[in-house]
Amino acid sequence: MKITYPHMGNVCIVIKALLTDLGLELVLPPPTSRRTVELGVRYSHEFACFPFKLNLGNYLEAYELGADTILMAGGVGPCRFGYYAQVQQQILEDLGVKMEMVVLEPPDVSFHEVKDKIHYLIGDLPWWQVFKAVRFAWSKARAIDTIEEKLLYFRPRVKEPIKLEGYFRETLKEIDEAADRREVERVVNSFLKKSEIMPQLSVKPLKVGLVGEIFTLLEPFANYDMERRLGLLGVEVTRSVWLSAWINEHLCRGLLRVRTECSDDKKLAAPYLNSFVGGHGVETVGCTVGFAQRNYDGVIQLAPLTCMPEIVAHSVFPAVSEDYQIPLLTFYLDELSGEAGLQTRLEAFVDLISAYSRKKEGVL
Amino acid sequence: MNVMWDIIPIGIKINFFYTNKGLDDMVKIGIPRALFYYYYYPLWREFFQNVGMEVILSPETNKEILDNGIKATLSEACLPVKVFFGHVIALADQVDYLFVPRITKVEPKAYICPKFMGLPDMLRARLHNLPHLIDTVVDTSSDGNSTQCWTDCLQEVGSMWTNNKHLVDSSIVAALQEQNRFKQHLLDGILLPDAIEGTVIPEVAAASHPQQTIQIGVLGHPYNLYDPYISMNLFKKLYSLGASVVTPESLAENDIAKKAGMLPKRIFWTLGKRMIGSALNFLENKQLDGLIYLTSFGCGPESLVEELVVRWTKKQDRIPLMMLTIDEHTGEAGIITRLEAFTEMIKRRHKA
Amino acid sequence: MDLYLGIDVGSVSTNLILIDHQGELYLSPLYLRTQGQPIAVLKQGLALLEERLSATDRICGAGTTGSGRSLAGALIGADIVKNEITAHSVAALSQVPQVRTVLEIGGQDSKIIILKSGIVVDFAMNTVCAAGTGSFLDQQANRLNLSIEDFGDIALQSTNPVRIAGRCTVFAESDMIHKQQMGHTLPDIVAGLCEALVRNYLNNIGKGMEIKSPVVFQGGVAANAGICSAFRRALETDIIVPQHFDVMGAYGAAILARDYTIEHGCETQFRGFGVTLLEFQNRSFICKGCPNACEIIEIKQGKEVLARWGDRCGRWTVAESA
Repeated sequence: MKITYPHMGNVCIVIKALLTDLGLELVLPPPTSRRTVELGVRYSHEFACFPFKLNLGNYLEAYELGADTILMAGGVGPCRFGYYAQVQQQILEDLGVKMEMVVLEPPDVSFHEVKDKIHYLIGDLPWWQVFKAVRFAWSKARAIDTIEEKLLYFRPRVKEPIKLEGYFRETLKEIDEAADRREVERVVNSFLKKSEIMPQLSVKPLKVGLVGEIFTLLEPFANYDMERRLGLLGVEVTRSVWLSAWINEHLCRGLLRVRTECSDDKKLAAPYLNSFVGGHGVETVGCTVGFAQRNYDGVIQLAPLTCMPEIVAHSVFPAVSEDYQIPLLTFYLDELSGEAGLQTRLEAFVDLISAYSRKKEGVL
Repeated sequence: MNVMWDIIPIGIKINFFYTNKGLDDMVKIGIPRALFYYYYYPLWREFFQNVGMEVILSPETNKEILDNGIKATLSEACLPVKVFFGHVIALADQVDYLFVPRITKVEPKAYICPKFMGLPDMLRARLHNLPHLIDTVVDTSSDGNSTQCWTDCLQEVGSMWTNNKHLVDSSIVAALQEQNRFKQHLLDGILLPDAIEGTVIPEVAAASHPQQTIQIGVLGHPYNLYDPYISMNLFKKLYSLGASVVTPESLAENDIAKKAGMLPKRIFWTLGKRMIGSALNFLENKQLDGLIYLTSFGCGPESLVEELVVRWTKKQDRIPLMMLTIDEHTGEAGIITRLEAFTEMIKRRHKA
Repeated sequence: MDLYLGIDVGSVSTNLILIDHQGELYLSPLYLRTQGQPIAVLKQGLALLEERLSATDRICGAGTTGSGRSLAGALIGADIVKNEITAHSVAALSQVPQVRTVLEIGGQDSKIIILKSGIVVDFAMNTVCAAGTGSFLDQQANRLNLSIEDFGDIALQSTNPVRIAGRCTVFAESDMIHKQQMGHTLPDIVAGLCEALVRNYLNNIGKGMEIKSPVVFQGGVAANAGICSAFRRALETDIIVPQHFDVMGAYGAAILARDYTIEHGCETQFRGFGVTLLEFQNRSFICKGCPNACEIIEIKQGKEVLARWGDRCGRWTVAESA
């Protein structure tokens, strides 16, 4: 059994750590590239969401490398994500691609479903070994979040952001290669030390909150490196979703304690969106209100084109923007998004919020 | 109307439907002729009339309604949502209240579409000067069913209106009876527009006439299929091309559910499940010469459901399938050409 | 005289403009076709400008904008490299200080900018296709055998514009042919096309925007009287077309350069008109550093790398000169 799984940002490092420790053989798809997109788009429905297409591309590229089993998360609606696997499997079957799909998702009928799937994957591995693997993978997830958070903080502040990015990539690689938790801790600390002593600019960066659908938030390929573009324009970005918080919520059913800046924002959505609408619709609205209340200069929403929950969230934005007088910008992303237009809109948005914030401070 | 809807203290029962008009002047409740109108109008109409309100239905979709809807919504929203907004705008200054229930689940473990779940919020955020929205939640509990969720909803709506519990209960009974009669008419083969209001539209009725030369199964959500402006008179056109039509509405719920249950994973959209189940029924129906699947541009669930239907139809390789994707820019000329070509092809197959 | 240079390198045209301290235009602006060769056109434009300057004229600041802004900025040594939205709004503000809405339609893109007390509060750019841009008109004029200059006047003769449907140029074109075959008059069809463009524009990028007057209409298409009148009807307000409507991007860039150099009290980075004599090499290559396979663009002058961009990771990027 050669297992593969779709990419979503740096989540591959975490899953790799977990599965390797569980004694499974892995075949990682190559990082998402133009070719991945082309493959995925060719075999998907035109209006299928962008993550669906990228996933499919990942599978096909992993298949070329010899993978025969796909590990995938699922759901029970109403976001389309919950039905990806079944349609993808049909597409693969019609293409004559023989791959088994194991979907980890909340049980529909009973917990046995989950247990059976896990048993299918790892057999009779002793529980302490499973526990050890989970704990190790978790430490990597936390480590990645820590250095990403620092990267977002320092990128607009340091004089040499490109050099900082270099440190970041090295550290990421070291986390991936780290063999134990102590090593993970060591490389994270060394990154923190290196970034803290870098010479800084004297200007105070603008602050922008990033909200929206999780895949487009976490996968730089899908969001055209939005965080990097903003950072280099001198903007400190705060993301509403973090990898470890997502893992905790979706795979560990919220058992662990993960605090993020936006942990309590969900309930702020109520005056604008008072119903569950699937996906991260309510979180998007709630976090937008949260960022506004914390005096951010602007909020950017990211969503795959045709994403239903995010369209609902976007639809109520005018009311939020009016109440809090905060500039909001939405990007619907897919394989056809033009990079030049995206950059121009980002730059114009940054000019807009900087004029806004100067006006607020009474400079203008 | 001067009702302070928002500041009524929780827990104190007040007659919400207060009106300062004369006694003879009935309170007007508006129902947009869009989306769930095509599923539940008989139920709603009967209920509101029985509790003593005047039901105002928006006119049939026209250019003004569509244009207003397009203007008020995001371009990313789907056509049915745009049309719904247009109908709400058409009713806004004519009624005291608008009935826009927040329909989340009408059966256990399956949702209506995310966009429809957020309708009341989207309306409030994007339209100003709306009449009061009655956005009571319709949400089936895990052991409930479609009757129970509507009974609960209407009871809540009724209790805002009157303290006469007996009146509310009897109105609900009458409403459910009306809804059942409507469903029975559909099963009897009467097309939805006739069944829903009891009016007879000759062309539409004739389209289901069995003496036509070919029979076509038409898949699609009722709010697209039966809105003549949206579907560009699909049924009438098919009839004039010598085709009679069979629709998902003529299938028994059980048959649809049984087929949909054959899927590897339960589909968690009520409407999507209807499409899959109907498609599988149609694929087995030897009487049918062709299938037409009408979808609206940018429909989320359809991008997955349609994918499966297309793949299965291809695999079965017996019935030809034509996809028609419509949006506000669709030109009628293009639709006519495609329908002509499709029916022509089927007729030629017959001769061969 | 002390002058400020503004350059707008777009996909269709490259515009150069000079202004003085007061923001008054010096000489007439240059309007050149980019023709896919931004470097050559830029050098040509600078050479033309140099010929017209007197010995006492001095460039005290230079700004670039447009889709080729980074390239042009690196080449000439711009003091400021700005996106088109900001450049256009600055230019519109300088002409109509009370402006609330800027409509801009160029050859291959279009934008709308909403302002409030002199500050941009909202904006949008066309994302979908060309149906709301000038190339739509160019194509249809071509099909009708009309010159684009006559287009607007013919539209004004119409008494009953036909409704032409279609989300994109291809569909609009087939619908237009259909209307022609049904026997509508030429002015009605031409006016219908103008209305279709305005409708597409307002429904796509103008969607949800609070369009308030004064409305300023700029970009190459603003020359078209038919479009102006279609906007006037659709928005039910007067439309202001500034005198130099077709070079407003460059004008904005010049103003930005002026304000920047004055605010920072710095010497200009402008490399002088000598750059027209220099040889630049531009090349692109695929980076093999990782599977992302980024396409890197590099501009060199002799052995010196002036600028490099296109990589996602930053290993190739040479800091822009802004």
